[in-house]
Amino acid sequence: MASVILVRCVRGARAVYHPALCLRQGGGGGVRPAAAAAATTSLLARRDFWQQRLVQAPGNAQCVQWRRFSDLPPLTPESIQERVFHVLKLYDKINPEKLQVTSHFMKDLGLDSLDQVEIVMAMEDEFGFEIPDVEAEKLMCPQDIVKYVAEKKDIL
Amino acid sequence: MVVSHMRPITCSELHISTYLLFSSSIRIHLYSLTITLHRIGLEVLSLYRRIFRIARSWQAQSALQHDTDSERSYIVQEARTLFRQNQQLTEQESIKKCIDECNARIEMGLHYRNPYPRPTYLPPMGLATQKGRKLRTQQKLRKQAKPVYLQSQDET
Repeated sequence: MASVILVRCVRGARAVYHPALCLRQGGGGGVRPAAAAAATTSLLARRDFWQQRLVQAPGNAQCVQWRRFSDLPPLTPESIQERVFHVLKLYDKINPEKLQVTSHFMKDLGLDSLDQVEIVMAMEDEFGFEIPDVEAEKLMCPQDIVKYVAEKKDIL
Repeated sequence: MVVSHMRPITCSELHISTYLLFSSSIRIHLYSLTITLHRIGLEVLSLYRRIFRIARSWQAQSALQHDTDSERSYIVQEARTLFRQNQQLTEQESIKKCIDECNARIEMGLHYRNPYPRPTYLPPMGLATQKGRKLRTQQKLRKQAKPVYLQSQDET
């Protein structure tokens, strides 16, 4: 019974090239051996829904991604800068009006090295990767931080 | 709730001390001294960073969530206050003492899974009467009996 549904679903999917669809099929295929009985009803529902969807967009070879996979939003230099500024504004020792892209932490904003360590730790928490000590002590303005993160995450 | 965690040591006073040093005429001596101070400063900053990293992944011994949260915030707060408090130290010996205090507290905290410092008893004849707070012998006894990990704490 499950294999019949599987075949029908795959036939329906092959009509239009649909990466999200294929992935979903692949995911469905992996789950099927594990929980066949429970999955059949949901699969039927899904297959009907998909066939409906295919009917709606017959000649559409574009990827219509209607399933959200659990992934982070894409990183661009602008988004990195926004996030860095957001974190810096949350830090209470910084005056948000004085904050510029090139404002030096020690000379312009009047922070000291302990504060700079705290800021770099906050950036580590924000972007989710560790910054070694040697690199961390060179990060002296938001511009440096943005450049470093972009370098580490291989963007442009 | 026991008192704090110790996190001594300086940082930005290095800049002041280097400036003062350069204003004298013994250049070679100054140069080696500034290198040592710079190295000590880097050590201090790496200790500060280490404490923050410990606090990030700290789990309380009781495994209760509110204990974990309170201990994490305690560690961070304690580090901040004690580092700020000892920021102005200039002599190498006192700085080294503070570094030892920091290391001792880190090791003890990690070993016993308890960030609070272990309290100690007063020495015999250390505080015989209320007047004893001012009398020099008793003060000396108390100072001598203070363990290394309580050096930054006041007598209260």
